[in-house]
Amino acid sequence: MLKADNGTLMAQLRTGRGLERWVERHLRILMLAPTVLILLTLTIFPSVYMFYAAVHKISPNPDLPWEFVGSGNFARLLSDGQFHVALRNTIIFTVLAVTAEFLLGLGLALLLDKYIRRLTFLKTVLMIPMMLPPIAVAITWKIIYEPQFGVLNEIMFRLGLPLQAWAGDANLAMFSIIVADVWQWTPFIFLLMLAGLASLPVEPYEAAALDGASSWRQFWDLTLPFLKPVIAIALLLRVMDALRLFDLVFILTGGGPADRTKVLSLYVYQVAYRFADTGYAAAISLFVLFATIILSTWFMKRMRLAE
Amino acid sequence: MVRKLLLSLAIAASTLAITGAAWADITILVPSSSEGDGLRAAAADYSKVKGSKVEIVQAPYANVFEQGANAGSTKSGVFDIILMDDPWIPFFAENGHLEDLTAYFKKAGIEGPDNDFLSKSLAVCRNPYNTGPYVCLPYVGNAQMFFYDAAKYKEAGIDAPQTWDDVLKVGKTLTESGGGRYFGYVFRGGQGNPVVADFMPIFWSYGADLFNADRTKVTIDTPEGAAAMKTFIALRDVSPKGVESYNANEVGTALAAGTAASSINWPNWVATFEDPSQSKMVGKISYTTIPAGTKPGSSEIGHWTMGIMSASKNKQEAFDFMLWATSPEQIKISAERGNPPVRTSVFSDPELTSQEKFRHYPVLMAAIQASTPRPRHPKWPEIENAFGIELSKAVAGTITPEEALKNAQAAVEQITGLK
Repeated sequence: MLKADNGTLMAQLRTGRGLERWVERHLRILMLAPTVLILLTLTIFPSVYMFYAAVHKISPNPDLPWEFVGSGNFARLLSDGQFHVALRNTIIFTVLAVTAEFLLGLGLALLLDKYIRRLTFLKTVLMIPMMLPPIAVAITWKIIYEPQFGVLNEIMFRLGLPLQAWAGDANLAMFSIIVADVWQWTPFIFLLMLAGLASLPVEPYEAAALDGASSWRQFWDLTLPFLKPVIAIALLLRVMDALRLFDLVFILTGGGPADRTKVLSLYVYQVAYRFADTGYAAAISLFVLFATIILSTWFMKRMRLAE
Repeated sequence: MVRKLLLSLAIAASTLAITGAAWADITILVPSSSEGDGLRAAAADYSKVKGSKVEIVQAPYANVFEQGANAGSTKSGVFDIILMDDPWIPFFAENGHLEDLTAYFKKAGIEGPDNDFLSKSLAVCRNPYNTGPYVCLPYVGNAQMFFYDAAKYKEAGIDAPQTWDDVLKVGKTLTESGGGRYFGYVFRGGQGNPVVADFMPIFWSYGADLFNADRTKVTIDTPEGAAAMKTFIALRDVSPKGVESYNANEVGTALAAGTAASSINWPNWVATFEDPSQSKMVGKISYTTIPAGTKPGSSEIGHWTMGIMSASKNKQEAFDFMLWATSPEQIKISAERGNPPVRTSVFSDPELTSQEKFRHYPVLMAAIQASTPRPRHPKWPEIENAFGIELSKAVAGTITPEEALKNAQAAVEQITGLK
């Protein structure tokens, strides 16, 4: 009886060890499985579905079958005036906003790194806009820009300056959105630049100083080349994000006035949800995706990050 | 241990919140505005009286359309009833998202909605307009009215505006003397739905329309359209700077703060203007029907209507709720809660009409009966967007009014396939 029990116990132990060995052998796969599953569900499946949708005409009537149109939705991009307007506005916004954010972010980082390095409180305050939810930022700026009761026009009035419509003026609307975006995202560039500056080696600067190089020469010949990888990453991330701009435009202008602030993300939203033209919306989204990939790859090569 | 317990409780609470709708007997999608608030209060009453659970899902205006369209096109059945703005009805009905109510009326032993409903309120609930079967029931009787500060108008020499010329005359006088802080007129000039909604009554009052009578031609770029556009641009010139981005809130605020003398507006704003905590103009705003151009003025109808989603699993319960919520008693309660009624008996109820806050009822009833629906087309959201872009450009001054009409004509022709 005791012998039999011992046998069972030994068999169980053997089985347990077998399981353990199997787990050990497949540990990598088991550890990766949840992530792969999540990736498949949340990224791969929607992407494949988007490709599939982009080559179909999809009726909002669920009883009508999807009609295969091949490249038809992509061909529409060539003749769609609203798409061209949205593309042009997106490019204008991206170039102007990211340039302003970069110059301001780098300038602030240089200033704080060199002259007021110890003021950690100030650094924290400067980072607050970046931490706010985009929707809160958009609503705050909507209140600031309000032509009749907004803070900005109240200041203009008290200073005796002409009142402006800001986001409601076709000539100022894009500028108003850029200012709000610059306010929110300059701290991001600032943070990255500050980290980059903190990691610079001291010796080259000492040598340059001994050789009598001016501060400007040191900045141009040492700081900028050393910061190049950080600048590349910062610009890349900001450009990718700027191409997806939605919240600020949706809340501040809704794409108007006169279509001056309609950007690609807003147009995709309108086509998909207001006009219920899902296939075409998928085609525009794919265009944006590929444009971003091509731009990023080109940019990384230019900045020699690919090496 | 405590952390684990808290985590478990949090997960349980989240699950309960998410699945809450699934436990309800009926789930209704409504806008997060006074119209939706009214139906939410009615749903709570219904739950108490009938013992069934009615779940209300509130979303901003545009999201109600999107969520309804998503639920319809995926046949999710997540919503049993949708509270729709009436121009959405053709989209929902013609894409098979709405239930034909004929069989439900028959089962209830009635032919259809009773004659106490205003005829224009019922007409929007049939698809095609006024001739097809009922696909919804009217709940909120919105139609635009003309709101104005009678004292200011009198100062400027007009007792009550009868025509757009009267409005322009007063507008010029008040804006010129306002020093950039007071304006004779204000309107929703924001691109898309806002600017279209505030332009259509002017368009109609000059005899213009988007389509000809038998819907075979787009008729935007016409001499009538040009006359309407001329008035609209003249009104812009007496409106506040930045009106190009104004929506309902900005217009409402300008009137309630007493910085603008008049506007086209919706009746659900009356409650705001008569509330001392929100308005400096309590008792000072007068209401009238839309002024005339070369033709009599006509309001844009904007009723909120309840329809049953085709994928609903609780259709009979949904219909029972709709019948109950649109009964004369419930429409009266809804009116007391601030929503404009859709029934003659409520409009003429002495208990209501004797109250100062309902003094606009005779005007509103006349406005509904003289109203015009926005063109009934399943592609209305796209048409409205295209027309709204060109109107916005004209208001912003980036193109001439003539170019705006020409471009809008071409854009709507392309969308509809009509010439």
